[in-house]
Amino acid sequence: MSGAVDFISKPFMAIPEDKRKALGLILVAIILLLFPLLHDNDADIDTAANALSYATLALGLNIVVGFAGLLDLGYAAFFAIGAYYYGIFTSFQVMPLWSGVWSPFAAIGLVEKINQGGPDLVHFTLSFWIALPTAALVSAFFGVLFGAPTLRLRGDYLAIVTLGFGEIVPIVARNLDSVTNGAAGLNGIQAPKLFGYNFGISAFPYYYVGLGLVALLIFVSIRLRDSRIGRAWMAIREDETAASAMGINLVRFKLMAFAIGAAFAGMTGVYFVAKLQTATPDMFSFNVSSMLLVMVVLGGMGSVWGVVVGALMLQLLQTWFLPQLSEWLHALGDVLGNDWLRTVDMVQWTQLLFGIILIFMMLFRREGLIPATRKVPALTFQAQHAEVTRGGFANLENIPRWQKEGGKGLEIRGVTVKFGGLVALNGIDLTVPEGGVVAVIGPNGSGKSTLFNVITGLVHSDAGSIKFNGVELLGLQPHQVLEHGVARTFQNIRLFPNLTVLENVLIGQHARLTTGPIGAVLHTPHNVAEEKAALDWVSNIIAMFSNRLAPRVAQAVGGLSYANRRRVEIARALASRPKILLLDEPTAGMNPAETLELAEQIKSLHTLGLTILIIEHKLDVVTKLADTVVVLDHGDKIAEGLPDEVRRNEQVLTAYLGRAARAAVMESANGN
Amino acid sequence: MTSGDLLLQQAINGLSLGSIYALLALGFTLVYGIMELINFSHFNVFMVGSMFAMLILQALGVVGQETVMSGVPLIAILVFTLAVTMLLCGALGVSIERFLLRPLRGIKGPAAMITTIGVSYVLFNLVLLTLGTDAKNFPNPLPPIVWQIGGATLRLREVLIWVIAILLMGGLTYFVQYTKIGRAMRATAQDPDAARMMGVEVDRVVMMSFFISSALAGASGMIFGLYYNLAKVDIGFAAGLRAFTAAVLGGIGNVPGAMIGGVIIGLVEAMSGQVVGTAWTDVVIFSLLVLVLVFRPAGLLGRLAPNKS
Repeated sequence: MSGAVDFISKPFMAIPEDKRKALGLILVAIILLLFPLLHDNDADIDTAANALSYATLALGLNIVVGFAGLLDLGYAAFFAIGAYYYGIFTSFQVMPLWSGVWSPFAAIGLVEKINQGGPDLVHFTLSFWIALPTAALVSAFFGVLFGAPTLRLRGDYLAIVTLGFGEIVPIVARNLDSVTNGAAGLNGIQAPKLFGYNFGISAFPYYYVGLGLVALLIFVSIRLRDSRIGRAWMAIREDETAASAMGINLVRFKLMAFAIGAAFAGMTGVYFVAKLQTATPDMFSFNVSSMLLVMVVLGGMGSVWGVVVGALMLQLLQTWFLPQLSEWLHALGDVLGNDWLRTVDMVQWTQLLFGIILIFMMLFRREGLIPATRKVPALTFQAQHAEVTRGGFANLENIPRWQKEGGKGLEIRGVTVKFGGLVALNGIDLTVPEGGVVAVIGPNGSGKSTLFNVITGLVHSDAGSIKFNGVELLGLQPHQVLEHGVARTFQNIRLFPNLTVLENVLIGQHARLTTGPIGAVLHTPHNVAEEKAALDWVSNIIAMFSNRLAPRVAQAVGGLSYANRRRVEIARALASRPKILLLDEPTAGMNPAETLELAEQIKSLHTLGLTILIIEHKLDVVTKLADTVVVLDHGDKIAEGLPDEVRRNEQVLTAYLGRAARAAVMESANGN
Repeated sequence: MTSGDLLLQQAINGLSLGSIYALLALGFTLVYGIMELINFSHFNVFMVGSMFAMLILQALGVVGQETVMSGVPLIAILVFTLAVTMLLCGALGVSIERFLLRPLRGIKGPAAMITTIGVSYVLFNLVLLTLGTDAKNFPNPLPPIVWQIGGATLRLREVLIWVIAILLMGGLTYFVQYTKIGRAMRATAQDPDAARMMGVEVDRVVMMSFFISSALAGASGMIFGLYYNLAKVDIGFAAGLRAFTAAVLGGIGNVPGAMIGGVIIGLVEAMSGQVVGTAWTDVVIFSLLVLVLVFRPAGLLGRLAPNKS
């Protein structure tokens, strides 16, 4: 037995891994292509064709749930929209009176004039091949329409709103009798034709259309996943706030996910009803949405191949395994003389099993059967070891100097922020000249991080003005602030934990790239060039942190050490080619040697000409780096000046140490 | 009936529906307030509660609409059924939390919510497989006492539903405001970490919130049965969506908000059935949910639980 396995597997395993994958794929494709020819059973081919349509739906839902992390519980609504779109425009349900207006449409075959006794009527005869892409557009439009009011909400509300939408679309279909024929549904939907060949009711041609659709949508999914757009979706999924601070327009990319996911469903809707030649409201109930969710969860959220496998497995479970199991149980019942076993119908248990699958996957295998991210083996002890380097960044040969553009730098004037009754910032003035380094210090709760948040658009300001090189930043969204060249890090580190170091830093490039979904899918020359340039730039940035980040580019950042996560965050901010870098306590949690290393690295960025605003507690770092130090206390600016001046400032000492301690310090200073 | 009578009649209907939704909405609000979790299993804990109450009443010998009781036996049988239903549902809620949700606590993303969807599915299908899909005659021992107010009718069952709802909501308010564990629940809703450091046993608080919300869902399921004289496997979805809308309308995490929201949704349902027809009621309720979320996401009374992000 093992000899036979070896006989087959040995030559296979000898093939290099990437080729092995391609070979496996080709084998699967050949089997799928030959299946209807070898297995001449229309019912089974029909089942397979249905399974393929669920695979396309699962691929679409995967874009929304898996990539963008938007839990959509009413996805079947878009399936229904595509289905009814094709159904209405090819059946005999809606037939307006014929008039000359329709003649041009008749000429291109979209409608025909019919007479059923009485006046001439219009019969819509939309071609399946036109319906497929246009249904994608129609459903995408509804995706935007449903998504727009709800995407600003937190993710969990989105779940319930989509649940409602998913419920409403079948209700509308059920109650708009004149257009949809109500609960009875549309009948006489036209079958596709190709070069005069009518697909009719045999499952055979539909199987191949379904296969083509699955292949197309897998291709589109993978291309999107590996593009700027996929990275943006995953960033949103991981941390919305950080995503928007790194230049991702949240509303735009969430809507895009919704629209593209809806487009997949719309196309599938056309395919599904063309095959069935009927459409009823019950075909699009909540059960469909939840079954698709089970498919995506089972296969692996965000995993393209995973969701296809998940969809096929569940279809197999329903249409083959459970009926088969019932028969076995019936036979067993006959043997044992047990009536329950004799009559049990396991197919009725399908939904129960779906629920159990959801629970078990969440408890024991949240990443699904085929996880989206492959685990990278941990570094060896030797590879982990890194010497503390001194003297700042070494690998700067590929990093161009920041050119002085003669801008005015960052000018903050009279900025006030209130949270309820608390004044977090009170009329703050602050200037960071081009090429300068300004440090903000102050006790906890003095408003330092709020200052960063108001600059980067995360917090609303009640008064004042923040200009960067003359452009007003107040009132801009976080992603717009980044587009103007203001990049930041966060005090409590906000990375995208399940993405790799490389992906995290690449997301920093998001705002500097322009590829849209079409460019990403087609790999246009522009897209290819842009991605290559982005990768080159990001590699240069990572090379700067050579001893720390370079060995870990393929690792998920969630598993990195605290200090390395801080470095990734700085690298990510630098990847956006900022004109000013806002660092929020970059050395927090680092040991003295690491602190010194990072301080010198920041210094070398400064010597390259980068403008820096830094919040820091460690006064030696501040003294080493800053031209000017600004001290905040309870939202007021209490001092500003050279590091040494500020250190001796009475108010500063009081704020930091309290009155008594200040007196002691002053006394000892006077004593000297 | 005159239009005034019609309005009064729909107000009576609306208040009864509102009582059902308010009790159910309290469960959404309590759990969301403490865990920031939309508990989809709540939909079907409610349905299971209705089935429990039906089975208990049947076991006590109440047959459909034929058995009519009055006086002390009636009150005793109702109190007993209510208490046992609430206990059983509370235990169900606690087991869901303890065994399926606690292992997921602290995990970011939709894992916990997906689990509650799975639980909801399991509950639904377990009832479906054991009791079937048909509508069941919910045993109702109330005497057919009816009062005429102008042209409108007020039935004894409506008064009973109001009384049960008011007592339970009053009890909950007292519990949350004045008991030690109630104070711990409020503290946990504000800041679980701070509460934990102040010695609050967060596990116990979470378990308590699941117990209370599921027990209230059970009570709600029982009065649903008494109101409609029916129990059916698919009642959870529509009632749950309405109750969730009520919770959002009142301000999620906000206990009085859920009560007021429930009553408003009940009235909206009764009136919209009158105005646009019952086929569209779901659409009306749901549009209301979207409008509230878009224009007043904090709800009417404001959300009491801060965003923990």
